[in-house]
Amino acid sequence: MSNSDQPFNDLEKLLQTTPEPAKDAREKARRLAMQAFAESHAEAGESALAGNNKPTQTSAEAESVEIKDRQGFWPRLRQTLTQQLTEVFDMKKQWLVSGAFASVSLIAVTFVLVRVTQPELITTAPGVERERVLEEVVVAAEPAPGREAPEMAEAMADVSAGPSEADLAARASVERQRQAEIVMAQRKQAEERKMVMAAPSQSPLVTSMPAPMLMEDNAIVPPASGLAGDDEFNELDSNPVQRVAESPVSTFSVDVDTASYSFVRRMLNNGVLPQKDAVRLEEMVNYFDYQYPLPESKKVPFSTSVVVQDSPWRAGNKLIQIGIKGYELPREQLPKSNLVFLLDVSGSMSQPDKLPLVKQSMELLLSQLNQDDSVAIVVYAGAAGTVLEPTAVREREKIVQALNQLTAGGSTAGGEGIQLAYQLAESQYDDKAVNRVILATDGDFNVGITDHSALTDFIERKRDKGIYLSVLGFGQGNYHDNLMQNLAQNGNGVAAYIDTLSEAQKVLVHQATSTLFTIAKDVKIQVEFNPVTVAEYRLLGFESRLLKQEDFNNDKVDAGDIGAGHTVTAIYEITPVGSDSSLIDDSRYQPGEQPVADKGDEYGFLKLRYKLPGDDNSQLIQQPILIKGGNTSELLRREANFATAVAGFAQLLRGGQYTGNWSYDDALGLAQANKGDDAYGYRTEFVQLVRKAKLAKGM
Amino acid sequence: MSPPSELDAWLRAAQKGDQAAFAQVFDHCYGTMYRYALKWSGNVADAEDITQVASIKLAKSIGQFQFDAAFTTWLYRLVVNTAIDWQRSNQRHHPVAQAETIEPETGDSQAGFNGVLLQQLIARVAELGEGFREAVILVLGEGFSHREAAEVLAVQESTISWRIHQVRKVLTEQLGGDHE
Repeated sequence: MSNSDQPFNDLEKLLQTTPEPAKDAREKARRLAMQAFAESHAEAGESALAGNNKPTQTSAEAESVEIKDRQGFWPRLRQTLTQQLTEVFDMKKQWLVSGAFASVSLIAVTFVLVRVTQPELITTAPGVERERVLEEVVVAAEPAPGREAPEMAEAMADVSAGPSEADLAARASVERQRQAEIVMAQRKQAEERKMVMAAPSQSPLVTSMPAPMLMEDNAIVPPASGLAGDDEFNELDSNPVQRVAESPVSTFSVDVDTASYSFVRRMLNNGVLPQKDAVRLEEMVNYFDYQYPLPESKKVPFSTSVVVQDSPWRAGNKLIQIGIKGYELPREQLPKSNLVFLLDVSGSMSQPDKLPLVKQSMELLLSQLNQDDSVAIVVYAGAAGTVLEPTAVREREKIVQALNQLTAGGSTAGGEGIQLAYQLAESQYDDKAVNRVILATDGDFNVGITDHSALTDFIERKRDKGIYLSVLGFGQGNYHDNLMQNLAQNGNGVAAYIDTLSEAQKVLVHQATSTLFTIAKDVKIQVEFNPVTVAEYRLLGFESRLLKQEDFNNDKVDAGDIGAGHTVTAIYEITPVGSDSSLIDDSRYQPGEQPVADKGDEYGFLKLRYKLPGDDNSQLIQQPILIKGGNTSELLRREANFATAVAGFAQLLRGGQYTGNWSYDDALGLAQANKGDDAYGYRTEFVQLVRKAKLAKGM
Repeated sequence: MSPPSELDAWLRAAQKGDQAAFAQVFDHCYGTMYRYALKWSGNVADAEDITQVASIKLAKSIGQFQFDAAFTTWLYRLVVNTAIDWQRSNQRHHPVAQAETIEPETGDSQAGFNGVLLQQLIARVAELGEGFREAVILVLGEGFSHREAAEVLAVQESTISWRIHQVRKVLTEQLGGDHE
């Protein structure tokens, strides 16, 4: 080989030298490992929390682990922590959250206190863990002094919508503590997955096997912003700017999922920026309910409103916002519901934010159902089983009792559980009722149907038979977002991520009807831009929902569904012809646009296709998008502004490729000014979230 | 290295809580983990830290090893991930970790180990993206086949081949001239 290969050969040679480890380092590691081994065997059966909280004589040895750069950190940490604790306890009075929730938080706070005042008692992987605890406390403590009086008042009010920042951060540290264990649990599950693949399968549905390998591909690569464990997200690139002259038509499917927002909120509440792929703009925007005009009649199940405004982040550009509002079903008109709860009770679900929250969520949902609706419960772990045969909601006691008996343990046989749940749903199938399986899980399926495409095919076939699937995601650490999305999309259902009881309240109580009752399915949007008036456009979000132009009129192509009362918002950013804000240069060789007679007052033409539930033929709604914007009411403008703030925030979280100098502060201001009534406090919470992102960014 | 059947027996006993057996497992693993960590970090202090964290992880998660896959694969996965986690948590306090000046290695136990050059080369490799450093260490350093490395890193075999090819190409193109 020539000289130019030298560096590579050097590398190879260097990598092949094998220096011996130093004896003392090895001895220390050995001692710590033996100790951890002894402890983990002694503690078997105890919860992770209790186990780590308990100081033991032997673990004092862990103190000898060298930690660099941490001189002077402890006193400082103690100080901030005391401050923070005082704040937490002051705020405690304001907590309007449930008792269970509050007590979890208190345990967490005490736990941090123990860890900080007695650092030498930390037993697990000290270097990593200590740093993490430090991180959280510092992040949580920072906002307090900087807060101004009016904001403080608001923060107090916000507490009703959720726990305080400090509280969350403290709780987060407990979570971090478990992270390592979760990661290991997932690896174990990955191993098990392989085991299943190797074993001859009895299930007729296990046909081909390559899928799990793909999943693991993501599992090992750490997300960009760190600390997200092994949560899996599909890669997502923002939609590019399109030249109207080249591709004037944009087509996509609606999306009413909100999982992304909840996940992002959770990360930010932990003081960490979410990984870019976790931020799906349309799900962030559509997390909020917008007060678009109600549909006029039931015949056309939703209204469409269009607002044209200046783009806040690029002078000269405009934002076109398309708002859709689904028809609200009055309670007495609700069809009967036959629900099957399919609950994951595998070992990984034992954390307080998983199974216990699932139980509470299901009880909430129960309260929304009518007396003659029916509920069945299927669980899956090592083996799937029916816990409760279909039972009328009037026998509430029986259902609640069945729920309360559930405990977590074992590995995850998700596929088998799904089959069993569908069998139950079929056994009580009623074509006038809503037949729906509601899956609650942290997302691991590794026994049974392990091939994801077989799984989604299965769900798709059942959907065509009239049984739908909604997915409620719980927990963090190995949350398989990609799979959850996929399942819900194929099952004509909603994928929501439930991180707190108040989120459960939102999804299962305030929006119960939208979550359960579909009023239109396969809803597609197509916009044709007018080359005379629009030079460029860009669709914000919906990257995972894009359709081909020809799919729009093809009723065979599946698309998103809209539930009763749902709102969906889609935003385009356009550069009008003649504005100097375009990003793409004019083509030197393509001729300029030929003016089309009398259409110069339109930016484009909006078309919307949907099917009524139970109908296989689509209906069409269409309207021009006028430059003048028509009669845009003050209310509509406010709603559009708030949606813009959320969309801008999502773009910033994704790296702010198109948002120029527009900042978190701008998002904050815009959201703040357009909060409106905000009956449930969701928008106020958003404002808080932007603040947290600002802080997380400063780290 | 011990014969597989013996290791198997230790592993099974350790999983049942047998301390002596775990000690055997630990002795079997430490060198492997340290070697990887040292190549990965390029300096002894970091390698010791990483190996220590990995040792504790090993103790805590030994019960989760399933005998369907090679223990070596499982072990490398553990240390690969430990190293990544370690760097991640470390970087947050030292955002410019790469720019840190490197203490010249002292101590006789490290004779013949040119940490500085390795660190520089490894830093170049790491710049190529996630997973490159790991692939190079496993294939060039630990003598894994592309398929075995692919299994440890849970990617396609072709991904490993591509990464190795990329590393060779970039190092040759960027640094080749300096070594005339």
